[in-house]
Amino acid sequence: MNVLTQFAATETEAAGGDIFSTLGIDWQLLILQIIAFLILVWLLGKFVYPWLMKSVDERQAKIEESVKAAQEAEAKAESAQEDIAAMLKEARKEAKDIVVTAKDEAAAMVADGEKKAKARADKIVKDAHEQLEKDVIAARKQLHNDTIELVALATEKVVGKAVDSKADDKLIARAVKEAE
Amino acid sequence: MAAKMSRRKIAMYCADELLAGHDVFGRLAAYLSETRRTREADLIIRDIEAALADRGVVVADVQSSQALSSEARQAITSFFGSAMQAKRVVLRESVDGSLLGGVRIVAAGNELDATLRRRINQLKASKL
Repeated sequence: MNVLTQFAATETEAAGGDIFSTLGIDWQLLILQIIAFLILVWLLGKFVYPWLMKSVDERQAKIEESVKAAQEAEAKAESAQEDIAAMLKEARKEAKDIVVTAKDEAAAMVADGEKKAKARADKIVKDAHEQLEKDVIAARKQLHNDTIELVALATEKVVGKAVDSKADDKLIARAVKEAE
Repeated sequence: MAAKMSRRKIAMYCADELLAGHDVFGRLAAYLSETRRTREADLIIRDIEAALADRGVVVADVQSSQALSSEARQAITSFFGSAMQAKRVVLRESVDGSLLGGVRIVAAGNELDATLRRRINQLKASKL
């Protein structure tokens, strides 16, 4: 560094002591350029930057809003997913309950049906037995009556011819003796 | 017009008259006709028979399928003598073939039915 400074100083002194001239810099042009630069900076700061920043801010706001909406949507989606899961769980539970209830009711209906069928069958059997007993009693009664009628008729026919005066005397004697 | 007498008094009077050997039936018929009690004739005859039975005279209706033999008649007479202490027995006999056998005796309001017809009827009556 010291070597370069000494070289520059040496060169400046050799050129008459004007370092800017040595370097080829024109003061006037430099000032104009500085002024133009400042004007450019001012113009940019006055007109371009605000618009650009505003646009950037709006875009950033939009992006943030979009991100927020996306987050909300994601949250909603998660919530909806949870709701759906809860609903599915509830639906499964209800379906299971319905199936269990249906099975119970079906079993109860089957049991009731079997009970009614058994009772009906028992009643039919009982009625059949009773009817059979009635028929047997009626048949016996009819047989008894028919036998009596037949015996009476046969006795009447046979006795009417078989009883002679001798037998009649015996009958009368026995009847009188029994009456005494 | 004759005074109205009870059946019992009429029967007792008639029984006494009959035992005394008097024919009372003509007077009885006249009395019943006069007092318009001819409808009671059968009842009065029955009462007279009862009154006679009380006095030792039994009048019995005897029905049989065949005519009574002397043995049967004697058995019936003996029966009344022992059962009703009858001194005299009068049998009104009749034959009814439908009785089939045995005897049916009605005397002084009592009946002894020992016919085969009754037994057959009893058998028929035992039908269920």
